[in-house]
Amino acid sequence: MSAETIPSLSPRRMAWFPTRGRISWFEIALLLIACALVVSGMASSLQDVLLLSFLFGGLALAWNIAGGYAGLISFGHSAFFGVGAYASTILSTRYGITPWIGIWIGALIAAMFGAVLALICARLRGPFFILSTLAFAEVVRIGALNWSSLTGGAEGLSIMPAPSLIGMVFASKAAYAALMLFYLVAVFAITKGLEASRFGYYLFAIRDNEDAAGAAGVNPLLGRTAALALSAALTGIGGSLFAQYFLYLDPTYVISPELSFQFALLPAVGGLGTAIGPVLGSFLITPLSELLRSYLGSSAVGLHLVIYSFGLIVVMLYFPAGLAGALDKLTRRGRPR
Amino acid sequence: MSTLIQLILSGILVGSVYALMSIGLTLIFGVLRIVNFAHGEFLMIAMYGAWAFTHLFGLNPYIAAVAIVPAMFLFGAVVYWLVINPALDKPHLVVVFATMALSIFLQNAALMAMTADLRDIPPIFNRSIVIGSIHLKVELLLGFAITLLCTFALQWMIRKTYLGKAIRATVQDGEAAMLMGIPVPRIFLITFAGGSALVGLAACVMVPLFSVFPSVGLNFVLIAFVIVVLGGMGSIEGALIGGICVGVVQSLSSYYVAPAFGQMFFFILFLLVMIFRPNGLLGQQGAATIGMNE
Repeated sequence: MSAETIPSLSPRRMAWFPTRGRISWFEIALLLIACALVVSGMASSLQDVLLLSFLFGGLALAWNIAGGYAGLISFGHSAFFGVGAYASTILSTRYGITPWIGIWIGALIAAMFGAVLALICARLRGPFFILSTLAFAEVVRIGALNWSSLTGGAEGLSIMPAPSLIGMVFASKAAYAALMLFYLVAVFAITKGLEASRFGYYLFAIRDNEDAAGAAGVNPLLGRTAALALSAALTGIGGSLFAQYFLYLDPTYVISPELSFQFALLPAVGGLGTAIGPVLGSFLITPLSELLRSYLGSSAVGLHLVIYSFGLIVVMLYFPAGLAGALDKLTRRGRPR
Repeated sequence: MSTLIQLILSGILVGSVYALMSIGLTLIFGVLRIVNFAHGEFLMIAMYGAWAFTHLFGLNPYIAAVAIVPAMFLFGAVVYWLVINPALDKPHLVVVFATMALSIFLQNAALMAMTADLRDIPPIFNRSIVIGSIHLKVELLLGFAITLLCTFALQWMIRKTYLGKAIRATVQDGEAAMLMGIPVPRIFLITFAGGSALVGLAACVMVPLFSVFPSVGLNFVLIAFVIVVLGGMGSIEGALIGGICVGVVQSLSSYYVAPAFGQMFFFILFLLVMIFRPNGLLGQQGAATIGMNE
């Protein structure tokens, strides 16, 4: 891949969107607004939108670790999401293990799946890598659908809707919103930590020029495997949280190409390879698609996705560095470089 | 024994139909070096077109091809100008995401226009050709013949005609071709539109065999990706061989293991090829490991 495969922000002046591990006032303000929204006690349908924005923001950040930082564009992340969701759900419904522990086991299994995918695709780049991730997720999806004794097959799995702290089932949506916000902030913090770390620099090097990185003493295979495993583990945690909120696993949704595409499109819209980009992407797209769906859904099936995908095409063609890139350009206008 | 022969033969026939729908994808990849993620939706639209012709005018879908193929050529040209051309000079990821978004767009536009119902056409021949204990569907045999004809015609065109030579020159070295006076942007346009026209032809062959619904493209595009990678991206005869491999694997595994696992087997086959022979069976050396936009 060429050096400019990932359209990234220039590291010169980014008071609003700093990279390399620093945090700006803008980001802290966003966090405070998010906390205020959680405790504001808004209408239930809006809380739905809010907590989904948090959850998908975290998932987009998790995808971004592989896709944005290491240049491993994956269209198979729903496999990790599904593995995490199934693992914690099966452990809690069959074996009575609390999801608070099950989530970590799910993350571990998802990380193993990520490492396996990285090893399968060890030599692949560009579209070959992308298509292999798609095929990998299909293998996992068909496997999950047909191993009915474990996964419930096409009927899916349900979690008892009895609120309990140990079962990680809550009566109030605000509690879920707080949980999702915590997940988002945790993944954001990991991303920021990654940017400033030696490992993060390895990933940038591998992304920008794998051969040169190898020649400079970075082990590309190790870097790719670790990045994908970390990204998969965080995605798996998101899957478990999703299961705990919806209390039902639909095998045609939790491991599906559509979901994988969504994980990839949110960071692409927001700005790949930045910490704030996926968050902005999720906060723009998730409410938009949820609101469009609730307003238009009954009258015109699919219209919200038509509008949403049309917007995506425009963004990709005219703002290839995403929202973060566009905002960055805007805030720097008129200032000397 | 006759079961095995039956399975292999019908696998080959179904596989050749799969190959026909993959040739457009491999052609576009070979020349433009992009993967069109909306390929399956092009197929879906063309299948709806062929279905509508049969449904409204009572025309045989093979005759409808006369209208569908030029229409898909035009459609491909429009998509090229609106989406592909503006994305070509941007980072490689832009094309990936733009065609991905295009696929979601087309799929949901079709959902709005046509609803999620399955659409079928009444059987055309309604009988099979019987040789001994082996039954072969006439529609499949016809598809096989059209695929072979199409592959040879395309090969001849690329080897012998002026346009074919210009395409090969563009593939070898775009800049040098441009300096020699070959209008490279127009070659790109013709290739993309031509690839879409081939999808139109494939759709006319597939409508008698498969139902049409808005997300039908996703199933087929995954098969097409497997075939194209198996045969080597950009290789036309590779697509034929890849298609036949996939058809036979699917037919054997769905009989001997379970229908549901048929798909899984060819995805596993795909991953095995990626591990051991990432350039496919007939692909260019090093294509998979250098990435595609050099």
